[in-house]
Amino acid sequence: MTQTDSLRPMVHAALFVALICVGAFIAIPIGPVPIVLQNMFVLLAGLILGPAWGTACVAVYLLIGLAGLPVFAGGTSGIGKIFGPTGGYLLGYLPAVLVTGTISRFLGQTPFRDILAMIGGSIMLYGVGVPWLKLAFSLSWGQALALGLIPFLLGDAVKIAGAVVMARKIRPLLKE
Amino acid sequence: MADLTLFSFQAGTTVLHHLDIRVKTVLVCMLSMALFTAGFSACLACFLVVYPLMCAIGMPMYRLIIRLKGFILLLVLMAATRAVTVPGEPILSVSGIEITRQGLAQGSLVGVRFFLVMVIGLLFAATTRPAALKSAAQWFLAPVPLVPEKRAAIMISLCLKFFPLILSRAGQTADAVNARCGSFRKNPVRQIRFLTLPLLKKTVISADHLCLAMDARCYTEHRTDPAFESSGRERLFLGAGTGLCIAMAILSRSSFWMIFW
Repeated sequence: MTQTDSLRPMVHAALFVALICVGAFIAIPIGPVPIVLQNMFVLLAGLILGPAWGTACVAVYLLIGLAGLPVFAGGTSGIGKIFGPTGGYLLGYLPAVLVTGTISRFLGQTPFRDILAMIGGSIMLYGVGVPWLKLAFSLSWGQALALGLIPFLLGDAVKIAGAVVMARKIRPLLKE
Repeated sequence: MADLTLFSFQAGTTVLHHLDIRVKTVLVCMLSMALFTAGFSACLACFLVVYPLMCAIGMPMYRLIIRLKGFILLLVLMAATRAVTVPGEPILSVSGIEITRQGLAQGSLVGVRFFLVMVIGLLFAATTRPAALKSAAQWFLAPVPLVPEKRAAIMISLCLKFFPLILSRAGQTADAVNARCGSFRKNPVRQIRFLTLPLLKKTVISADHLCLAMDARCYTEHRTDPAFESSGRERLFLGAGTGLCIAMAILSRSSFWMIFW
């Protein structure tokens, strides 16, 4: 194993951190929780980098945002964002990328299995984000699902489809 | 996307540029927490402190608003969404959609808070060199067990380098697509596909070139530990920042603004 081989995962993880940051700036507000492209790059990081480097990549992204750089959705930042109503979605990225990476590692890398892995990751993301939103706004489960899950399902399906195509293009480059 | 360049370091000689990065990071975290529960009066107090600092680094508010118009539109839309989704006393009804007083108040407050958080983040980014941020990350993570602080710091540093690279590659790819009459394509899916896939491919290849360059320069994680710059006014800023946060917390508890809402 050459030095370059050991450097590549770290550099690729840093690239995905930058992609997640860029994805956060492309936000569409439809309620308390905006539609952002960052979760597509988070799930893609799980598929491409695997569970360990994918989790490291998301942890570094959260760290940059916590430190004060405006990299969270819509150019916001800071520790207050984590404790805010959408903080659950940000923290949910960690189990989401871990689950996506783990499922992808165990099932293999076909488009269908990639979709399964990303659905698993999305379940983890909403599994943390929706209860957090419910607690933050003191909503009922029905209201929390209506505000924090249902409006995003169609967009997530499109993002998953896009991520599958991207994963198929990027993987051969990383194996070279 | 051009707005992203706003969130980058701008050389200068102000006290914020020379303030110890660790103090700056702590101040940003404290203000972010204070803004999380801030009311209108607390937001106004924060703005009165932040505005002179914005002017000092050469970024007056009108220029900021012009350059951040995309983000501000996003905040306005977010506030408008709240105004029509939060239940309460209706003040206006258009085609069955009711704007409530409580929704308008909540939406405006959230918009103002987000704007201030954005401005503080901008101040931080504009006065902090990427190398200083890397050093601060390494310093803050050093006591945390099981976290490879040097590797995390290098990742932060690389990420900050990739940010402008992605934007420049996006511009190049868009130019190349347009030169091939790509902008005349009617199918939006194909338009996005022909822009994003080459962009991702280019950035991954650039990342590989960076690996080779780092290897060629005998990169190792065991490098000289960073030295922190100090302006000598760290205690003053820390004290003033703490005072501001306490004042904001007190103002947020007062019900003065509730009279208007």
